[in-house]
Amino acid sequence: MDYEQSPDRHVGTAAVGSGGDRPKRAPVPVKIIVAGGFGVGKTTTVGAISEISPLTTEAEMTSAAVGIDDPGQATMKTTTTIAMDFGVLTIDQTLKLYIFGTPGQSRFAFMWDDLIKGALGALVVVDTNRIDDCYPAVDYFERAGLPFVVGVNTFNGQMSYSLDEVRWALAVREDVPVLAFDARFRGSVRDALLVVLDQALDKAIRQKSTHS
Amino acid sequence: MTYPDSDDPAYPARPSVRPFLQSGPLSAGGYSPAIRDSEPPAAEQTSGLRPFVITSGRTDGTDPDIGMETQVTVNPAAGPVRLSPEMRAIVGLCGEPVSVAEISARLRLHLGVTRILVGDLRAAGQLDVHVLDNETPDPETIMRVIRGLRAIT
Repeated sequence: MDYEQSPDRHVGTAAVGSGGDRPKRAPVPVKIIVAGGFGVGKTTTVGAISEISPLTTEAEMTSAAVGIDDPGQATMKTTTTIAMDFGVLTIDQTLKLYIFGTPGQSRFAFMWDDLIKGALGALVVVDTNRIDDCYPAVDYFERAGLPFVVGVNTFNGQMSYSLDEVRWALAVREDVPVLAFDARFRGSVRDALLVVLDQALDKAIRQKSTHS
Repeated sequence: MTYPDSDDPAYPARPSVRPFLQSGPLSAGGYSPAIRDSEPPAAEQTSGLRPFVITSGRTDGTDPDIGMETQVTVNPAAGPVRLSPEMRAIVGLCGEPVSVAEISARLRLHLGVTRILVGDLRAAGQLDVHVLDNETPDPETIMRVIRGLRAIT
């Protein structure tokens, strides 16, 4: 008996396999956050590594944020709009890396809770002329337990302070890497992100071993 | 159930109903919104709407499953329905898997609005939202990202 030749049988299998009718399986998205003050090179960083030119999405301070940032007046909550740049890197058919650039000031922290959910880690971009711009982001990622790396953007190879001095100013833990990179160059951004991923891998392995 | 005609000057007062439901021209104050006798100009209908108009007034209640990077595709089994222009535009983008953030950026819709509308379209069976089984990335996935990043020049 040959079921394959039976037309009825064929219809039957097609119906069972109707899940295969769907468009191709959606890739698994992973994300890395790039945080820093205005003008430190977040968008340049995202643009250097992204395969598309960075897209911008706007987010509004919603009612959920009122308690945190308490604007006092209800009318203000609809007027605070921030722009976020992000890029994409397709690792393979089933895996996509998203890189989200977010302002590093504490008044934007209301959206970080959403942003870090499921994130691999973060690159905090620092301009040595305005180191304190990144303090809120460092504080937040430390408290959230998100692996992060401090990346000093060396505009034109210039740094006002050495990496040791930056580390001293930030007072980050010993195991938090502080490195220099150039946001304009893909290879440099890639290497910085690889350090973030190393941190993420360490954490994921630690978590897995404590679970099992 | 019948309701008194508010134009009838003799209709009885019903204090149990929220006052504004009864406030006709005869009620205290006498204020009533101007009756809109014309539609807004066509140009204003598609652009310039304040975000909460598009979401029917909602600013909250976003599905926590729907993150910025969450992948969305058209549900191939979806039946034809009438959708708002924004919703049609979203469905139009989702032939290939696309992230919520990309939808927001390409349609210039606020992220919060996009999330609410994607949630609505998911509830209506128009879109598949691909929720990840485990939210925290596993070492194997991270290794794949590392290998992929190393491969780029």
